[in-house]
Amino acid sequence: MTTQTPEGPSTPLLAVDNLAVEFDTYGGVVQAVRGVSFSVAAGETLAIVGESGCGKSVTVQAIMGLVPMPPGRITEGSARLQGAHILGATQANGRAIRGDQIGMIFQDPMTSLNPTMTIGAQIAEPLQVHRGYSQSQAMQRAIELLDLSRIPEASARAKQYPFEFSGGMLQRAMIAMAIACEPDVLIADEPTTALDVTIQAQILDLLNDLKRETNMAIVLITHDLGVVARMADRVAVMYAGQIVEAGSVDDIFYRSAHPYTLGLRAAMPTNRRPVAGAAEDRLQPIDGSPPDLFAPPQGCGYCARCPHAMRVCHDTPPPVVDMAAEHRARCWLQHANSPHRIKGLHHATVD
Amino acid sequence: MSSVPLDTIAAPGPEAFALAPSSSASQGLSRPSLSYWQDAWRRLKSNRRAIASLWIVIGMLAFTVLGPKLWRVNPATQDVDQISQPPFANRDAVLIAPFTPWDQNAAPRMESDLAVIGSATTQAVRLAWAPLPGATGYRIFRNIFPAEDGLPLGLPLGENLRPDALTFEDRLDLAPRTYYYAIVGVDEQGRRTEQFHTLPVEVTRVITVAEAAARDLIDADNPPELGTPLKLKFHPLGTDYLGRDMLARLMYGARVSLFIGIVAPLLFVAFGMLYGALAGFVGGAVDQVMMRFADFVVALPFLLFMILFKFAFGAEAGESGILPMLLALVLLSWPATARLVRGQILLIREEGYISAAKLLGAPTNYLILRHMIPNTMGVILVTLTFAVPSAIFTEAFLSFIGMGVAPPTPSWGSMSNEGLKTMLSHPHELMFPALFISITVLAFNLLGDGLRDALDARMRSRE
Amino acid sequence: MLNYTLQRVLQGVLTVWFIATATFFAMYFAPGDPLTGEKAMTDEIRANLEAKYGLDKPVYVQYGTFLANLARGDLGISYTQENRFVNDIIREHFPVSATLGILAVAFAALGGIVWGALTALYRNRLPDFVIMFLVILFISVPSFVIAAFGQLFIVNVNDAVGVSVLPVAGWGTIRHMLMPSLVLGLGTMAYLTRLMRSSMLEIVNSDFVRTAHAKGVPPAQIFTRHQLRNAVLPVITVLGPAIAAITTGGFVVELVFAIPGLGRYFVQAVQQLDYTVIMGTTVFYGAFLVFMVILVDLVYGYIDPRVRVR
Repeated sequence: MTTQTPEGPSTPLLAVDNLAVEFDTYGGVVQAVRGVSFSVAAGETLAIVGESGCGKSVTVQAIMGLVPMPPGRITEGSARLQGAHILGATQANGRAIRGDQIGMIFQDPMTSLNPTMTIGAQIAEPLQVHRGYSQSQAMQRAIELLDLSRIPEASARAKQYPFEFSGGMLQRAMIAMAIACEPDVLIADEPTTALDVTIQAQILDLLNDLKRETNMAIVLITHDLGVVARMADRVAVMYAGQIVEAGSVDDIFYRSAHPYTLGLRAAMPTNRRPVAGAAEDRLQPIDGSPPDLFAPPQGCGYCARCPHAMRVCHDTPPPVVDMAAEHRARCWLQHANSPHRIKGLHHATVD
Repeated sequence: MSSVPLDTIAAPGPEAFALAPSSSASQGLSRPSLSYWQDAWRRLKSNRRAIASLWIVIGMLAFTVLGPKLWRVNPATQDVDQISQPPFANRDAVLIAPFTPWDQNAAPRMESDLAVIGSATTQAVRLAWAPLPGATGYRIFRNIFPAEDGLPLGLPLGENLRPDALTFEDRLDLAPRTYYYAIVGVDEQGRRTEQFHTLPVEVTRVITVAEAAARDLIDADNPPELGTPLKLKFHPLGTDYLGRDMLARLMYGARVSLFIGIVAPLLFVAFGMLYGALAGFVGGAVDQVMMRFADFVVALPFLLFMILFKFAFGAEAGESGILPMLLALVLLSWPATARLVRGQILLIREEGYISAAKLLGAPTNYLILRHMIPNTMGVILVTLTFAVPSAIFTEAFLSFIGMGVAPPTPSWGSMSNEGLKTMLSHPHELMFPALFISITVLAFNLLGDGLRDALDARMRSRE
Repeated sequence: MLNYTLQRVLQGVLTVWFIATATFFAMYFAPGDPLTGEKAMTDEIRANLEAKYGLDKPVYVQYGTFLANLARGDLGISYTQENRFVNDIIREHFPVSATLGILAVAFAALGGIVWGALTALYRNRLPDFVIMFLVILFISVPSFVIAAFGQLFIVNVNDAVGVSVLPVAGWGTIRHMLMPSLVLGLGTMAYLTRLMRSSMLEIVNSDFVRTAHAKGVPPAQIFTRHQLRNAVLPVITVLGPAIAAITTGGFVVELVFAIPGLGRYFVQAVQQLDYTVIMGTTVFYGAFLVFMVILVDLVYGYIDPRVRVR
């Protein structure tokens, strides 16, 4: 495949190109990620959206070098941070980047922190590793970071253990830890999924504020379109290991060009009728379940669930169609030869 | 996301863009649906170690049940011709006449040296020697090593106090092997002189007609002529220190060891299950009291109380002592299962599917039969499998320190205990029972591991 | 923490009372009586002896006396060795058993943690297979067989070298202690290795270790700060029962290696029907184990912050 690095609003900080990841399991080889490309620029938030098992977490774990190998395997593709390759870099090299230039926070703060270390020591750890801080310097900075993450009585809290924290507090501590070394990119893997809705909003606001203050890029993994709307500048919709539609947040929400995006929107609760032309004021679930990635379908991964599937969808992989600058969809319906105009779906203007 | 110029793809024809009929088939699960037990069995089958262990367990049970039917040897019969014989020992024997006393005065006079008169057999070795200068008497020694200078002469057999008593008949516990005899001269003061004779003697095993007939080696009514070579009774795994057949004893010993090893866990797991289920269901104060009592029983030092209870329930003379041991094991071992089952019941009671079934109006006994029992069976089966090795160990331990089954009854533990005493000279007497214990325990342990992995639903997604 | 400790100690005392009661009644209902073993005696002598040991009193008085003496720490006088106090017997023989046991526990715990961590790190590779094969072997071989082979091994080594590298049996110097404590700890070490391996495997795949990787922490530091400390916790929780297993397993090792410990003395006492020694030793061992378990729990509470704060 030829590569056209999509130009973001400014130069891309992190660029992932045609990434493919496989896993050996007892049932066979699972192709979890099948050629994913995206980029993100400083001060920008990219949301990767998709349902469970679509490969969004594996994608970022591969970038972070966190895919356990074996059974995992990166079969193709590259990731570059400020132009330097970070995939396939030596272990030591990767370690120098992790926690320093790229920070990461995880879905479940309850299990993602070491239960036998104090919060402060855990936040101080990357500073000691990457910046060579002494223990007391690092602890001092850890307290400042906790404060920055809006944890009250930070110096007392730093001496506590994770079980003494609530879920929301733990996620703040996780964020403090991830930004300790002032990374260029923060990867947030479903940072609010395990939290109460009220806490969710606070965490998202914190992330937005930190982004504004430090001008870091955020890659946000989520399945929640509400979170996307609140946070993202650009969105990539993933399905069955591939990005099926990518564009600005407005493109995705107001000019959905892929039936799956449309389906996701129809399944999202809102105050008004989500999709123009939706039959009723009811949430529309997407019937069926994603395909087995042991044997990915020949054609479009979504065609088994797609209400508008055509014959071609079953046996030929769909083309990636440029809808507009920065807006692309991987769908036969957008092909110039397709005669169908689907209600609610944004179609490429036919020349 | 990389875009592909559209013209690089051969544009499909218009018919390709016809809407496809909605394919419901592709929405079904592509993998077959298996029940919990089917899935567990599938995973157990793929565990080669567990399946091999299952076959070993079946083999051991067959050895215990069918073994004595095939190998019809009484484990109590002593084969005095073959004491502490290792497997595949030489079994040759020659048929001879009954023992007749030796008229030592009629023995030939030796001119020099030491010689065997007649043939050296396990019945008797008759020695005659020439007088040694300066000797007024002789001491006769027998050794199993060559008697060289400085080495001990071996077992003192006897002393002839007259200078002209130049013969000796050795009938002491002779085995078919090479002996090194030494005749040492003794002076008037009873001191050894420097003078001595030595002679290596190859002893052949013999058996009298009567003995052979009694052991079913020959036809008593029509005995073959004397001097006929015979083969003694075959003992595939050798004999113990009393000449008892090891294979037969291992088979009968397996009855005790496996009986205790399997029946005791069945009993205490069953009791623990009832106790735990009762506590779990009734709940409240009853549960508190019941579990506190279980805690107390757990705190009893296990092996000490096994000894104490075994002692308290006592075995009358002539009893094997198996039942007291069984009782003691059950009394001390049930709390672990009780705790487990109670915990499991309390856990399951809170599960969503129980609430769901209740909402649908399921009666209590349906809940117990359909949800509680099937969901507890897995852990109970695993507990049971792991309880077997520890029960076998307990029996072996008690028998080993002499608090187990009473002596004539063989068990693997008591056989090991007996074998330990002769470990240096006859290692097979310890080796075989120890091997049987170890293999059985190993098989149950590996089977338990396999079962646990197979039944643990969390493992489904792993490996 | 103080409250918790007091509560546990109170529980321990109750448990010891239960052990003492169970011991008393087990012995009371045992067939025969303490004087059966003695030589033929006249009724008069028998009556005198019964009076001396209080056997003529009704059972509740005997039980009461037993408990009262126990509360004062008096375990009575031996039946077979007259004029020897059970307390003195324990004082003489228990230190030997305790030394053996402490060495064995230390050996088992250290070995279990090291081997278990190694197998987990080398999962499904050669070191894992070799160690786990040995582990399953030592779990499946009865302690007396291990003891016998340990002794056989010393005999052969001594023969081969020509000098006494290690004594075959007996007690006294550190050289006497090596093989018995090794043999005694081996079964428990195998068990702890398995436990440590599975605990370590769980930790290796845990979220917080992934977090540490994401922070760029070097593997050695991840191993010591994040994996080892958390993986060791479940091993510590079973140390109490492990001490119990090792203490009673000591009987066999003491028998095989002719070590003058309390275990060997207990077995002898049972064979000689020495009632007071049997009861005294059982209650003593029971109390010892109960308080070891409590001690291990308290130590665990100190190590695991989740328990410590509560």
